[in-house]
Formats: sequence, C-alpha cells, structure tokens
Amino acid sequence: MAKKMLEVKDLTTKYITRFRENIYAVDHVSFEVEEGKTLGIAGESGCGKSTLALSLMGYYFPPLYYSGGEITIDGRNISGLKPDDVRKSILGTEIAYIPQAAMNALNPTAKIIRFIEDVIHAHDPKKTKKDIYDLAKERFEILNLPSDVLQKHSVELSGGMKQRTVIAISTILSPKVLIADEPSSALDVTSQKLVIKMMYDLMNMGYIKSMIFITHELPLLYNVTDDIMVMYAGQIVESGSARQMVFDPVHPYSKGLMDSIIVPEEGTRDAKLTAIPGTPPNLKDPPKGCRFADRCKYVMPLCQTSFVTMRRFGELDDDGNAESQRRYRCIVPVHELKETFKREGGLRNTGGAAI
Amino acid sequence: MKNTLRQIAHSPKFMIGFCMILLMVLSVFIYPLIVPGNPLEMIGLGTFFRPGTYVSVYDSVSTDKRYVIKLSDAAEKRLASKLAPEDREVMKTWLLAFGLPEESIDLENTEELLQLWRNTYDPELRFDNMTTAVRKHVQRTDAKLDSLLTDTDIIIASETDGTLTQSGAVGANDYVNVSEIANVRVLPLGTDNFGRDVLKEMISALGTSLLIGLIAGTIATVFGLALGLLAGYVGGIVDDIIMFVTNLFTVIPSFVLLILISFSISQTQRGTVTVAVVIGLTSWVWTTRSVRAQVVSLRNRDHVNLSKLSGHSLPRILVADILPYIASYVIMAFILQISSGILAEAQLSMLGLGPRTTTTPTLGLMMYWAMLYTAHINGAWWAYFPIVVLIACVSFSLNLMNTGLDQVFNPQLRG
Amino acid sequence: MKGYRKYFGKKILWFFITLFFAVVLNFVLPRLMPGDPVANITARITAGMSNVTATQAIYNEYIKKFGTDQPMPVQFVRYIGNLLRGDFGQSFSQYPRTVGDILASSMAWTVGLQLPAIVTGWIIGNILGAIAAYIRKGFDKVLLPISLMISGLPAFGLAIILLMVFGLGLRVLPLQGGYAQSLIPAFSLTFFKSVIYHYWLPFLSIVIIFIGGQAIGMRSMSIYELNADYVKYSRFMGIKDSKIVGYVFRNAMLPQISGLALSLGTMVGGALVAEIIFNYPGLGTTILGGITGSDYPLISGATLIITIMVLTTSFIIDIVYGFIDPRVKAAQYD
Repeated sequence: MAKKMLEVKDLTTKYITRFRENIYAVDHVSFEVEEGKTLGIAGESGCGKSTLALSLMGYYFPPLYYSGGEITIDGRNISGLKPDDVRKSILGTEIAYIPQAAMNALNPTAKIIRFIEDVIHAHDPKKTKKDIYDLAKERFEILNLPSDVLQKHSVELSGGMKQRTVIAISTILSPKVLIADEPSSALDVTSQKLVIKMMYDLMNMGYIKSMIFITHELPLLYNVTDDIMVMYAGQIVESGSARQMVFDPVHPYSKGLMDSIIVPEEGTRDAKLTAIPGTPPNLKDPPKGCRFADRCKYVMPLCQTSFVTMRRFGELDDDGNAESQRRYRCIVPVHELKETFKREGGLRNTGGAAI
Repeated sequence: MKNTLRQIAHSPKFMIGFCMILLMVLSVFIYPLIVPGNPLEMIGLGTFFRPGTYVSVYDSVSTDKRYVIKLSDAAEKRLASKLAPEDREVMKTWLLAFGLPEESIDLENTEELLQLWRNTYDPELRFDNMTTAVRKHVQRTDAKLDSLLTDTDIIIASETDGTLTQSGAVGANDYVNVSEIANVRVLPLGTDNFGRDVLKEMISALGTSLLIGLIAGTIATVFGLALGLLAGYVGGIVDDIIMFVTNLFTVIPSFVLLILISFSISQTQRGTVTVAVVIGLTSWVWTTRSVRAQVVSLRNRDHVNLSKLSGHSLPRILVADILPYIASYVIMAFILQISSGILAEAQLSMLGLGPRTTTTPTLGLMMYWAMLYTAHINGAWWAYFPIVVLIACVSFSLNLMNTGLDQVFNPQLRG
Repeated sequence: MKGYRKYFGKKILWFFITLFFAVVLNFVLPRLMPGDPVANITARITAGMSNVTATQAIYNEYIKKFGTDQPMPVQFVRYIGNLLRGDFGQSFSQYPRTVGDILASSMAWTVGLQLPAIVTGWIIGNILGAIAAYIRKGFDKVLLPISLMISGLPAFGLAIILLMVFGLGLRVLPLQGGYAQSLIPAFSLTFFKSVIYHYWLPFLSIVIIFIGGQAIGMRSMSIYELNADYVKYSRFMGIKDSKIVGYVFRNAMLPQISGLALSLGTMVGGALVAEIIFNYPGLGTTILGGITGSDYPLISGATLIITIMVLTTSFIIDIVYGFIDPRVKAAQYD
C-alpha cells in the first residue's frame, strides 16, 4: 500500500463576517491522498472548494479561521502547530499552493529572483544568494523558462510565463503536497495542457509527491486526476476514482453535475458545468437535513429533517476490485439510487438541468 | 438598484453627511422666514459689532413699564463692568508705588480692590519715581471711580425752546423687560465691516455658495462625462484628441486658469453664475480621465457588443449599456465636484476675483472682506471664523457622503 | 532599457508641449477680453491714480507690451522674445519695480514655504495612511474622520484656525509677515531667527492639509494592495508578514508619487491662498496685490511662473518615478 501523503480528518474552517456571523465554508471534510496520486475537487463556484484549498495549508488569517479537525502531512500532524511554526516548517516545504489568479500572484515591483530569495530565506535564512540562484535556474529550466526571467519583474512577463514562474516558485522547496486552485482557468487549451503536463513532470521527477487540483472544469479532472471529490455547500457529497465518478455517480448532485456535461472528450472547453436549478443554501444558517434537499429532484420528507452522514459503499468495479474508496452523502441506499437513475432513462435527462 | 439604495441608507457615514447638507439647505430657505430682510443691508453704522442682543436705548428709556428689582450684587457688577482693565492697571501702579506688596493686589476681585483703594489712596501723596503725568492720570481715575460709585438717578430731560425740562428719571434699580421693548435686534454673530448682520448674510451666502457648487459641479460632471464617454467608447482619433486636451489641463494648474479667465472677464460681467461656469469649465479633467478608463474596460463586454450588433445608435448604447455601469462613480465624482467648486469660489474670492456683485453674498466674498479689513487682527472672530467653520462643514459633509458611497460600492474599503 | 527610453522620451516631449500651451494660454486669455484690451486695462489701472509719470509709463508699457497694431503672430513672437530675456514687463502697482524683480523675491519665499511643506506632508501623510490601513479598527476609525475633516478644509481655513489658536489665543507665534517688520532682509542670525519664527504658522497650515489628503489616498491604496493576490500567495509561501507589509507599502506608495505630480497644481493653488491669511511675502500675496491693483503684467508673470514651477516639479517627479517603479517600463511595451 502506498504511503499517505495527506490525511485530512473532519477539517472545519469558518469565515467570520463583519457582522460577527460564523460561516462554515468547510464543514467536517475528510479525505486522503497517497504518494504519487492526484486528487480532483469539483463543485459549483461558492461551494467551498477554494476555501478548502486555503484551509488545507493550515495557516489561517482573517476572515478565515480554523474551527476543528486534523491535517496530517506525511505522518506529521500540523493542526496543533503554532502559526509561525507552520509558516517556517510547513508552508512551501510540506504543502504548497498555486493560487487561482496566478497572473496576479507575483509582486509587480519586485524582481522574480528577489521574491525567490525571500521565499527561501523565510525557511532557511543561511542559504547564499548564489545557491538560490543556481537552484532557481535549474528549476526554471525544467519548466522551459529562460534564466533571464529571474532578473525581470512580473509585469514584464507574458501570461503563460507568469503561470509557469508561479509553478516554479511554488515547487522550489519540493513540497509533498501541491494544491492548484483553478490552475488553467485563464489559459487557452494548449497552454492548459502544457501547464498540467509540467506539473506531472515535476511529480515524476520527485520534486513533488502528490497533487490536488481544484476546478469547476470536470473534463479536466477526468483526464488528469486519479480520484475526484465533489463538494456541495461546504461538505463533500461524494468521492471515488475519476472513472467511477464520471460514469457511475451515485449522489443526485454529482449525478446532476456529470450529466450536465457531455461525456468529456479531450479538450472540450465548452463542456463547462451547467447550472442545476436553484441556488445552494445560505451557509450562515445551513439546513438541518440534507443540504442539497431543496434542489434535489428525488427529495423525500425525511431528507429535510435528518442529518445525513458520509457513508462508504463497496461493490466490485468493472475490473473486480473492491471500491473501498467510494463514499457518498445521501440517506437513500446506493442500489435504490441507481435503480431510480436507470428508470429515469438516458444519460441526458436525469438529475441535470435541461439547459 | 433597490438593494443599493437600501445599503446607502444604512451607511452611517453617508446618512450623517446627507443630513448635515439637508440641514444647511433647509436653513437657507427657513432662516429668511424667521429673520426677514435684505441680507446685505448695512444695518450697523460702524465696523464689527460684537455678537449679542442689541436693545434700543431710546425705547428702553422711554418705556412706561419699568420694574424695580433689588439685587444685592447689582452695584458691584455694574462697577466691575465699568472699571476697565486699564483703570485697574493704573490703580495697581499707584498702590505699588505706595509700597504695597504685589501679591496683596488682586485686579480681578473688584470689591477687594476698591476697599484697598479707599483705605490707602491719598491724592496729596507724591512719589519720587512717579512722573506728574502719571500722578494726574491716577487722580483722573480716582475721580472716575467716585462718579461710578454714586448711584444717583439719571435724569431724562426733554428740550423745548432751548430749555430743558425733566421728563423722567432712571434709577439704579430700574429694569425693563426686553420682551416689552419695541426694538430689539439679536445679532448672534455680530456685524461685519460694512455693518451687515453676519449670520443672516452667512446663511444667504451659504445658499449662493451651494448654488455655485451645484452649477460648477453639474457643468464639470456633464462635460467630463460626455468627453469621457466619447473618448472611451469611440476611441481612435477622437480619443487621442480628447485625451491630449485632458492631459494638458491636468498638468496646467486649474487655479492659474481660473485666475487668468476671471481676470480677463470684465468686472461687470463677473456675476455669481459666470464664476460658477468658469469653475465648472476648469475642473472637468478628473471626471473625464476616470470615466474614460472605466468605459474602455466596459467597451468590449458582451451586452455592449450585443447592443452594437442590434444596430443601436451611439447615444443609446452610451446611455443604456454603459452609463448604468459607471453611474455610481459619476455620482461620487459629482458630489466631489460640488465640494471642490465651493472651495474654488472661496479661494478665488480670497484673491479678489470672486463674483463682483453687490446683491448676493458668497462665503468667499465674506472671507475676502473680513481679511481686507483685518478682522483677525482686530479680534473680530465672528466675521471670519464661523465662515471657515461653515465651509469646513459643507465640504466635510459632502466628503462624508462620498466615503459612505465608496464603502457601499467598493466593499473592501469597509473598516 | 528600451521601455525606459520610451518613457523618458515621452515625458520630455510632453513637458515641452504643456509648457508651450501654458505660455500660449497665458498670452491668449487676456487678449480674448471683449473690446479693446489696452483701453480696458489702462482704464482699470489708471482709475484713481494720481501719479502722472506712472500713468504715462503704464500707457506706454501697454502699447509696447501688447503691440495691438501688430498682427497676433508678431505679438506672440515679441512676447516669447521678452520671456526668454526674462523680461516680464513693468509693474504698475509697485512702480518702478519690474515684474521680474518682484517675482524673483516672492518666488523664493513661496518655494521655501511650499517645497518643505509638500515633502513633509507627503511623508507623514503616507506613513499615517499606511498605518491606518494596516491596523484598521480603532486607529482607522479615529484617523479617517479627522483626515476627512482636515482635507475638506481649504488651506486658508486651517490657516485661520491656527492663527486664532497660536497667534491670537496663546500669543506664541506672530500673526503675519515673513519676518519681523523692523528688520531688513539680510544674512544675519537675527533675521534668520525671525524668518523661522514667522515660518511656523504658514508651514503648519499647509502641511496639515497635505497630510490629511495624502493619508486618505494612501489608506485606500494600501487597503487595495493588502487584498491583492500576491499578498495571499506570499503568505502561503511562508514569507513573514512584516516582509509582506514591506511589499504592500512600497507598491501602494509608488502610485502616490505619480499622484503627487498630478495633484501638485491643486495643492499649490490652495497653499498660495493660505499665504494671504498671513500676509506672507510669497507669490499668493503678490497675486492678491496684483489683482487689487489691477496690475496686469504682475498677474500674468506670476501665473506663468507658478505654471512653470508646477510643470517642472511634476516633470521631475515623473522622471524619478520612472526609475523606481518597474511597472512604468512594462507599460511602455504595449
């Protein structure tokens, strides 16, 4: 069995608004990522997936606050650490982050090499400028970046170059987990593929050990990740292997998501998520029962009142392996859901919106 | 839209500013109803009358209703008010020369000072270190004291054919009730150098200044908005020309243009409206710049392109598809322009280039005259300080409204 | 290097274009007066003047100065020629002094007053604004309304308040003038002391207004920068907050520099009026005197000098800014 790189247990984080309200944007999230694996997290915008990315770093600043749960990276529990220890010994070295807007992620008035020096000195103040330069140059070469980029300011770089520069900087300390939030949303299809290929190259060369992709573009996840997790209103509603999640979703919400896209062909960019009717619940005051109940077309009275837990289910998949990793959050048993889906008929007219 | 309005109404900063402005506008309309008359009427003969209640002496003396009120401290108060600080100094000089220690002389305590004076003063005494002039001065002061201390009635006489006949007398304990006096004028802020009621003039001036701000602000905003929309949306050569002119007038100080233009307009034509128009025409550049920048970012939005494809006319696209997106900004710019228009008038007037009018006062002109007659050196604070406070209040409340709007429109600025 | 060269080239070209237009405006505006400008001006000036020599000089001066018998282009060439020789003409209100002579002395006072005030106000205002943005909460709640109140006040208003408090109330500082009236300007310690003593009130009234305006601008700019994406990214790369605050303030401060170049004209205008309150011997008081005395050449010369000073300062600020903000260089590649 492969080594667990990241293990998250009941992680809960909240935003505190200026009216002193608590909004639990990440609510008891648990999952794990093994060495060499890639996890995709999908969901509509506002479902808490970007907040989950921030929460995984273990480093919180207002308005986001830690509320409960544990994060273990490569066997080391980081939840109890002091913020400054997290900053020094975890960020960048154990877990690193590529922000959603990589275009604006670099300080516009500092040279790239200065920023890299600041990053490395934040963890290892003794490292000489020469060593830093050599390291940066080596990594930049892997990502096909000319070394004179190091002497430039971010404003002088093109969009694609900035993206790669951010990847190079995020991975320069060889983190065990790399989280990429919408890594490709601003790029065209070709550069998008290139960027993802580069991240895989970095993983194959051992500079990073595992990856988490966060995106609303399901086709991307299907093509590049091993496992997929679907989030709704701050909670995980279903998780499983990429293949299972796309072809055999069991939760009505994931079913709706998957059905609302055409079966992903490689690089079909128009196949974005289409909306399921209705809006997610307000997390200021989440529903007592199932959070998806108001939008679910299979809703029953019990859904509104009873708290729904995450359940595992294991059947044999096509290859005959036990699906021990599959989990879903619904009170209806798996076989009943599947029967219902089957009765509803073809792929296009199940839970999804008719858009 | 409704939601935005509700948010604005819930912004304390905006509401405080708005209420302050509303209060000022209301007072401009209501105050003339309470105190009617021409605000520029020179009612006082003389400059800078102190603030206070002015009671007609003639009416007080000739009134039939007179009351006798006995107050134990009346005499002392009267004396204290009449014994000028200079007189007290003179008394002190003599007492010191007489040989009394300085700490035994308390100039503030009138009763004790008088007691001391009565006990020690001797007009016959001469001191070597006191000149005759000073000695005479002391004697005159003493005589004045004597006359102050007698509380005999003041005889009122009327003259007929060169002979005086007593028609009445005013006793030391006679009082009149102010509400029964026919002519009483309250001058809460005194009078200015021309003898005009400062408060009345100031409130009228506030109206004029707000009007100037409104005219200047409207012109600047309309002009700036139109140019900004054109430059941003049409682009090309139109954009180049407009931006060239805009950049030019951004760096050439508008203050200098104001002076040159105002000076070039002949004196007689420089009325309130002219000055407002000139101010408006020299302050549109900032609006143009920002409107253009925002229009450029809106130009290629989907809904604008759709409108273009539908064959809508240029004015229609500008008004229906672009204006709503920059409306919040334009409103804020307008408020700011009003406030800077009022300040510009004040500054221009301070230089003597304000509205050349004898019929309407402005805040700037009031400041100009107060400074010209060195009110600050004469100690006539009421002629200029309330005006500065008022100008500050106007621009503070407008700025406050703007900050409130800013926080509604740009939530990240919220504290 | 190409980007910088383009930027500086543009700025230098722009400086000369604006200078040219400023001069043209200065030349044209008074000539646009309805009616015969010479008759207008001389009528205005000579009204109430008893000095025959001066009246004659004014008349001659105007004939020479305006040369209305000549066509406009010839007049303009003559005007430029005079300017280049530093000849601003003859003052009417302070006859027989020349305008150049009057301006030279008042300019020194104005520059001596405003330059230190602008620099000090800019530095203190930016520090306060940055602190307000960083701390928010209580400090921000106090500082913002105060700044709003102050920056809403015209400089002359604050001048009067300071004058009332320190000059009339506490009687610790003098009411007016640039130096004691009993002194004659000279390089002596007594004179220098007197200048410093008279400097405080005008200086403070200008500086405090500048601080208010700058603090508000810097506060919004810093709040904007604190929410920028690079701040979040730098934090997640483990960089210390103190270092990130350094990035933020540098980035927020830079636009404040170019903003200074743009708002300089307004600031200087306000400060000139504040001079009047103290009867400070600078350009503001000179302009007031010129306007009161309908001294056209003096006004024209003073406004031109102010324009040139503002344009030159903005130009220098722009050039310095080009060296320290790399964003400028990148913008030139577009």
